[in-house]
Amino acid sequence: MSDRRGFLKSLVGAPPARDDAAPDPRLERYSRQLVLPEWSEAAQRRLEAAGVLVVGAGALGSPVATYLAGAGVGRVGIVDGGDVELSNLHRQHLHFTPDLGVPKAHSAASKLRFLNPEIVVEPYHAEFAPAMVEGQDLVVDCTDSFATRYAVNAACCKAGIALVEAGVTGMTGLVMAIRPGHTACYRCAFPHAPADAPSCAEAGILGPAAGVIGSMQALEALKLLAGLPALTDAFAQVDLAALEVLRVAVERRAGCPDCGGA
Amino acid sequence: MTWVRTKLELERMAPGEALEVRCAEGEALENVPRSAAAAGHDVAVDGRIVRIVRR
Repeated sequence: MSDRRGFLKSLVGAPPARDDAAPDPRLERYSRQLVLPEWSEAAQRRLEAAGVLVVGAGALGSPVATYLAGAGVGRVGIVDGGDVELSNLHRQHLHFTPDLGVPKAHSAASKLRFLNPEIVVEPYHAEFAPAMVEGQDLVVDCTDSFATRYAVNAACCKAGIALVEAGVTGMTGLVMAIRPGHTACYRCAFPHAPADAPSCAEAGILGPAAGVIGSMQALEALKLLAGLPALTDAFAQVDLAALEVLRVAVERRAGCPDCGGA
Repeated sequence: MTWVRTKLELERMAPGEALEVRCAEGEALENVPRSAAAAGHDVAVDGRIVRIVRR
């Protein structure tokens, strides 16, 4: 093998001979994603420089915030106006029985800080307000209300901030990544909320179903942050009873009141 | 961790540049040449020295 450009770097060969360099906790913490062919140090630095707002600290917000914090997103904001209830615990894995009555945003933040003390976690014990998206690089909507979902979509479209939407109920879920101004937004795909959509309290939900959808949502968020191809101009319709994923193409809708359409 | 360090160093290098990695016997010496070759780089092993030319 020739040294094609006459330039040779030595990684660990400096005398005296050593088999590895000094321990690097940052490198070790993120090593399993850094080693991915799809990942790079540049992608990791983009994550570390990013601010992400997770709207909702419940069934979807738990896996989303956990994975984003673990992956090294530099600033994770988590918004939830509710308190931890006993009926939350089977699917909202950031909250434990001793947290009953604690604001969900604070309960989640305390776990995320244990998970990754290298990042900044900002809890907001409040309902979502459009101004919250300002200054964010990405928003992940983990709410279970159509009204909030459309409000988050409109705020992100107006501010030009990337968004990952998702919803789950019963044994089905949906995930969609959005780059406002470039790809179809949530309202382009779903101009109106369904009139009779049941809530989790009515329809029921198994914890792992929310975990799967939330994990897919976190994955799309990481792809958007790292600059990898994401699930845009389409949504994934996930049938967890049959374990089937249907990718449904969508287009920007002319005259969309949220994103303006194409 | 040796392959992680190697991969990151290769990302910083230009195509055609060469990197010499001194590996510990065992896992590192098995993983580094295999992973580098799988990533498409030119690899040669001489004892514990793995020489990689970035693709």
